[in-house]
Amino acid sequence: MLLTQTIISGLMIGGIYALISMGLNLILGVVRIINFAHGEYLMIAMYASFLLYSTLGLDPYSSAIIVIILLFLIGLATQKLVIEPILDTPASTKIFVTLGLSIALQNLALMLFNANHRTVHTAYQSKLINIGGITMSLPNIVAFISAIVIAIALYFFLQKTMVGKAIRAVAMQRDAAYLVGINVKRIYILAFGIGTALVGLAGSMLMPIYSVYPTIGTTFVLIAFVVVVLGGMGSMFGAFYGGLFIGVVEALSGLLISPGLKEAIYFIIFILVLLVRPAGIFSRGKGSEEVGLE
Amino acid sequence: MKKISSMLLIVVMLFLTACGGGSKGSSGSDDGPIKLGALFPLTGDLALLGEESYRGAELAVEEINANGGINGREVELVKGDAVDPDAAQAEANRLINQENIQSIVGSYSSGIAFAASEVAERNGALYWELGAVADNVTDREYQSILRTNPPASMFSVVHINFIKDVVAAELGKDLSDIKVAIAHEDSSYGTTIADEAEKLAEAEGINVVSIQPYSSTSNDLTSVILNIKKADPDVLIVVSYINDAILISRQMKELNVEVPVFIGSGGGHTMTDFADAVGENSEHILNVDFPQYEINKDATPGMEEFLAAYEEKFGSEPRSGHSLANYMGMKVVLEIIEEADGELDPEKLREVAMNYKVEKNTTATGWGVEFDEVSGQNKLSEPYITQWIDGELITVYPEEVAIEKPKITK
Repeated sequence: MLLTQTIISGLMIGGIYALISMGLNLILGVVRIINFAHGEYLMIAMYASFLLYSTLGLDPYSSAIIVIILLFLIGLATQKLVIEPILDTPASTKIFVTLGLSIALQNLALMLFNANHRTVHTAYQSKLINIGGITMSLPNIVAFISAIVIAIALYFFLQKTMVGKAIRAVAMQRDAAYLVGINVKRIYILAFGIGTALVGLAGSMLMPIYSVYPTIGTTFVLIAFVVVVLGGMGSMFGAFYGGLFIGVVEALSGLLISPGLKEAIYFIIFILVLLVRPAGIFSRGKGSEEVGLE
Repeated sequence: MKKISSMLLIVVMLFLTACGGGSKGSSGSDDGPIKLGALFPLTGDLALLGEESYRGAELAVEEINANGGINGREVELVKGDAVDPDAAQAEANRLINQENIQSIVGSYSSGIAFAASEVAERNGALYWELGAVADNVTDREYQSILRTNPPASMFSVVHINFIKDVVAAELGKDLSDIKVAIAHEDSSYGTTIADEAEKLAEAEGINVVSIQPYSSTSNDLTSVILNIKKADPDVLIVVSYINDAILISRQMKELNVEVPVFIGSGGGHTMTDFADAVGENSEHILNVDFPQYEINKDATPGMEEFLAAYEEKFGSEPRSGHSLANYMGMKVVLEIIEEADGELDPEKLREVAMNYKVEKNTTATGWGVEFDEVSGQNKLSEPYITQWIDGELITVYPEEVAIEKPKITK
């Protein structure tokens, strides 16, 4: 019973990790940039959701569409103004730029909102679903389902639509895509925008579950990196499975070993995967780390 | 992509460490005023409560200046912004060696206190700690440190005394039948209180059935809560910061886990953000912390004046008990300097401090003053227990300062 509850709870939090990781993965796979400010976009999304709630009284779920559009626009602007100028610089420059962006955004939030924890109050927030003694909270289930829907929708978008195919083409071969007439810069901007829009959705889903404060992003972004590496960089379903996997590993190691050691355990897994199977557990094996989006 | 993977590994490591910088406070240099250093985190992550702490010290200084200062000399606080331990060292150095200051007060955070007092010890200055709780600040037995506030281990003492004096009777159980579980964040703060509580509980014959350490940056504490459920305790002691305090209360509700007596520790459970985030689930949660404001004012003379002065200067109520604890501590520092006739020589001042004694329940926090000869710790200060009752944080223990009886339901 305890074990089942732990696994279910792990899956629920895993859904949240997956939701955050998919956007990060898209940006990594297409633009080939490690976006350390990803967590801060989550923080911005949560503050946006909170502000819409506190000023206009909008429920986080109904304001999700506004937050998603807002984050999409912020993503476009980031790519255009911050990332595009440094695209051809060495990887270390890119890392320092996004890391700097992350620190700047955190401190901006600290200035604007101070370090207080802000919370949204909704009627469904504390609703529990009880199935055979296993309990789940409603907002967790909603977040989980939206992770599944997003994973499937992204898959079809990338496989079936013209734009999706163009995105994959850029991810696989930037130069060849350019030669066949794809506007690579525009695809980058679009991919970055979609990536941050996904975080916008994640932020709206998280607002009923967590309080928002300036450094909330860092607690999630580290796990998102583990998830992305585990699932295979650039693989959408990989990020989804990876999120669930880490969620369950975290919960089980907390229950069976010690809650104080669960971070240590998934970071050990992270290092092992990088050493043994750098393309990720759920990828197609050696070589596919060079391929980009699946 | 392989290159990116290894880069990623390096930078994730890098990301795990924080960064910070320092900035300079004001300075002045004539023989007129009595200059004291004030080292607090005024910007950065710890700014909220660091600044709240500084406000308390500031108010005490303004009060004495309004009453003519010390021997007719004005007291001046020279600020140092100690964002983190590194900045604390740099700022302590500046205050002592460039501003020629011989007494420094601080500092809210134990890491900052530890680093800055090290500098004070090396340079023969006196370091007055008014708010940081880690035991190791005074355990080093330095001649340079005096601390007015209670250390973390005192929190454990209050936890166990409360179980002994109140909980056992209310639950109608023998001490040896009471099961205690402890969940604590795993930095030195949480670990100290938990270890100490475990020791004291065992000495009293109380059963500690489960100890759950966890990282305060966790997003999910299901496993902690399920382990507690398995242990089925009568009393749950939680030592946490605010983020994890919120998470534990919410997830306990989610997983349908209830404990008869829930006692928090430190800042997390007393903050209004906590009550706001968990709503009615905060009701009847007990908490061991510095003195709060819904308290027996007869046992804390001077608190009303403090509250009035605070509101007048800052235009709002205090945001936490930190300003009060620092106000009380600063007043002690100033009174000791007054007794030493404005003499700031560290050795002489320490001697005067050792002979300076104040009875309990005669200060704004209700604390007495008597410094330990060896460690410099004030032996008469202690944290109190408050309880959320109808959305208000009411002091319920110990009896001298309580305004209501603790509500404990079986």
